[in-house]
Amino acid sequence: MSSIKEKFNQISPSEFFYRNRDLAGFSNPTRSLYTAVREFVENSLDACDQKGIFPDVHMSIKAVDPEKPDPKPYILTVKDNGPGIESKHVPLAFGTVLYGSKFGLKQARGMFGLGATMAILYGQITTNKPVLVKSSTDGKIQDEFELLLDIQKNKPVILKHTTKEVTKQGLSVSICLEGDYAKAGSKIKDYVYETSLITPYATITFDDPKGEKFHYSKIVNEMPPAPTIIRPHAHGIDVETIRRMMVESQFEIPNIDDVMVEKVRKDLGLAKNNLAFTGIMDKAKKRWKTLSRPVRVVISLMSFLKMDFDKLNKIRIDDIDVPNKKLYFWDFGDSQSKSVDMDPESQYYKQLTGTVQGETLTTFLTKRFQRIGPSTAVKFAEFAGFKPEKRMGSMTNEELVKLSDSLQKFEGFLSPDPSCLAPLGEAPLKKGINKFFTPDFCEVIQRPASAYSGFPFIVEMGIAYGGAIRPGGPHVYRYANRIPLLYDEGSDVVLKVVNDTDWSRYKVKGDPPFVLVTHICSTRIPYKTVGKENVADRQEIERELRLGLQFLSRKLAAYMSKRGQAEMAKKRANLYAKYLPLIAQFCTEVAGKTKEPNYKKLLEEEIIVDDKQS
Amino acid sequence: MTTNKAKDRKQKTIEKQQNIIDALKDHGAKVYGDLDSGQFPKFSIPSRSVSNIVYDKKLRQYILGNSAALRSSRNSSQLRSFTQLMWLAFFANRLTHEKKSSTLRDVYYSSQAFAIEFEDQSESDNIIVDLEAVLSKPREDFHIFPEERSSIFGDLNIEYTIPGYEGKRMNLSNHPDGYAIGPSLTTAELVDTSAEIVIAIEKGGLFTRFVEEQVDKKFKSIIINTGGQAPRSTRTLLKRLHDEMGLPVIVLTDGDVYGEHIAMVIKSGSANAAHLRELTVPDAKWVGVWATDIEKFKLPTIPMTESDIKRCYDLQSDPRYQEGIWKKELDVFLKIKRKAELEAFSKYGLTNITDKYLPQKLELAKSL
Repeated sequence: MSSIKEKFNQISPSEFFYRNRDLAGFSNPTRSLYTAVREFVENSLDACDQKGIFPDVHMSIKAVDPEKPDPKPYILTVKDNGPGIESKHVPLAFGTVLYGSKFGLKQARGMFGLGATMAILYGQITTNKPVLVKSSTDGKIQDEFELLLDIQKNKPVILKHTTKEVTKQGLSVSICLEGDYAKAGSKIKDYVYETSLITPYATITFDDPKGEKFHYSKIVNEMPPAPTIIRPHAHGIDVETIRRMMVESQFEIPNIDDVMVEKVRKDLGLAKNNLAFTGIMDKAKKRWKTLSRPVRVVISLMSFLKMDFDKLNKIRIDDIDVPNKKLYFWDFGDSQSKSVDMDPESQYYKQLTGTVQGETLTTFLTKRFQRIGPSTAVKFAEFAGFKPEKRMGSMTNEELVKLSDSLQKFEGFLSPDPSCLAPLGEAPLKKGINKFFTPDFCEVIQRPASAYSGFPFIVEMGIAYGGAIRPGGPHVYRYANRIPLLYDEGSDVVLKVVNDTDWSRYKVKGDPPFVLVTHICSTRIPYKTVGKENVADRQEIERELRLGLQFLSRKLAAYMSKRGQAEMAKKRANLYAKYLPLIAQFCTEVAGKTKEPNYKKLLEEEIIVDDKQS
Repeated sequence: MTTNKAKDRKQKTIEKQQNIIDALKDHGAKVYGDLDSGQFPKFSIPSRSVSNIVYDKKLRQYILGNSAALRSSRNSSQLRSFTQLMWLAFFANRLTHEKKSSTLRDVYYSSQAFAIEFEDQSESDNIIVDLEAVLSKPREDFHIFPEERSSIFGDLNIEYTIPGYEGKRMNLSNHPDGYAIGPSLTTAELVDTSAEIVIAIEKGGLFTRFVEEQVDKKFKSIIINTGGQAPRSTRTLLKRLHDEMGLPVIVLTDGDVYGEHIAMVIKSGSANAAHLRELTVPDAKWVGVWATDIEKFKLPTIPMTESDIKRCYDLQSDPRYQEGIWKKELDVFLKIKRKAELEAFSKYGLTNITDKYLPQKLELAKSL
């Protein structure tokens, strides 16, 4: 063992992604070009959504050298009218991996803004060209950056930074990357087309390398309500997440420097006049309720140290040893470490332990999670076998695992709050479908919110029949969080539900011209693979899809029978028009007459009857 | 005497034609009147569904009951077949007026010239039966005949009545291949014959053998090949030979259940033609090959198929098979579950059937 010295190197996140770019969808020039388009367009749409701006996204792909055969370098540019990114954040946002504004629990197309950086990274690897970022947050000044990514150090390298005056706000990102448009083209066109269907409030333009222009104007004039950021649900949590949340729930011991002391004096109203130790404590007691936590901590420390402000300036707090009730500090004057005992009965002791050990279990639950009230928290503590007042900071590893397990199992929590979700809404969805497919019939439904494993989700669906829809249906358009899913549809839960449906029961026969649109919104879509193209068949999601589809199918069936009747009536009218003249012709000869009978009024009468029926 | 009779016949034929033309005209006028007064015209057609087919013991044939179906042009699902029926009436009217003949197949193809669509010939055949039911007349009366496949041979003089041949006579023993039983023969005058019996035989091969063996002369008979189930024109001719010439009719078929039924249809008609009378020869006799003959003549046999056996059971519930040789032979067929062809006699020599079997059966027929 000892003879082999293993060498552990820490690698930067950029290096990690560089080595594992397949995972993020950059496996080959075809897929990479498509993924890059998706990442930038989705970032633009997300940015606009968050600020309530009607997105106007312009995307273009141009070959660097059109004569070369694919795969070859392309310049991909995505420009939006969103809020832009502040100048100082641009290098970090586009020049490092894992820098993003999307941490937090709410529905968004992308999770951490990772994909865009991955695309930049991929472009840099394949063409060694910098990324060009133009950003204006105020619609007056635009910052223009040329950036490279230092992969080993995970740091941006600014090649050029200029500013100029503009009239519109927004962000434009342009990268050079190796791609294969000959193969990726149809998918990219599908992507743009399908994206504009699920974002009918957006205008999307695409200039393709062959000079074709695809323009999808906005169809609806209202934005769906923006999702709110919410706290996580207890069922959707693991040990690691609890650990991260605990760090937030514990408070740092304030650094007692001049600034801090000045603040304490000011808050106690002692900025000008100096008081002795007991005087300070009296003053603090009177004002306790108005004091902030850091000030209270300083006062508490002073109470055990029995020092005034002057003395306080000459020491450094080293440790607060709660179990042994000792306070360690370094005395600069004597240059040695000292300690004092703390009285556990004192209210100052409680203040300090609270700071060091964090919140109690019940406070932690009610403050850090959604939809848990004090009484539920107490019931849960009992269920999990913890004292309600147990401090989070005092939990051992085993206890944390137990807590995490119990959070998953406890059934007394309310179901997750769907306010973090942003479904499109029935009216815009219907408008979108009508505009895109110009069907004879269209119906949509938004199912009530439901949840799987602590993640809320909402299923929206639309069905359309006839009109300009091509036969051979059902044509299924799948969406998750407003992203079209184009690949791997075979193994998707939506397809499973659709294929289970016996359409003949709903009067849909033969080669029907019909379209299905499904949209699953969730804070976390349970994708089957990292490629994010197919949704796993979670029982809860499957059920909502099934119910939604049943509702729509019944509506379709009702329409189909009406349509059948109308067609029948028309057919009948045609029949009379075809056959009555023949009957008239034949009976005239058989009856030995020369002039045909007047059957015209019979035809007219029949048409009137039909009109009444329909 | 003969001329009187001929005149009589001619008169009768003309009357028959006039009846048809009058009946068609009545129906046409009614449809015309309905249309002209803003009514949807309709036909009442005797129902030919199984529930309306009953056996008439007195007539010894199947007849239609009283229920009738209304075919209205108001009903869009009947409009098409109404038009087809009206067209057929129109077509039949022309045929009868112009004394022209047509066949089932010819009708089917002629329809296309008038923008009338039939899915296939069986659909047009059905409409023809509808018109038969409406008029209560066989289609031969309005000049629609089956494709000829049966033939006749023997000493029988006939006189044609069809246009262009009126008065022309013919002896039906002049051509050894026999004469096809077509429209001209069915409508011809039966003038005279030296024959004393009519032998209807199921198969063309045996028919040729009978002619070769001069069965017509040896047994003073007229030989008719039914070509399987006898076509209606052949049945009409059989009836006329029996009724007008006073000839007994015997039927010779294969020794199986289908053969037995071929004989039964000649004797008492088929359920398919329950809407028609005058197609049966109630005195016709089935003389073989019987199930009991198989044993008696030690004929080579083959086993019955499933469908043969099923057919036996079906016929057992037919009221006509409840007595006499019909019941007896059917029961024996079911018992032995074997069948024999007419050709089975060839085992004992090609002429065995005419030399040995036929004389026995002719003798036997007298006592049946």
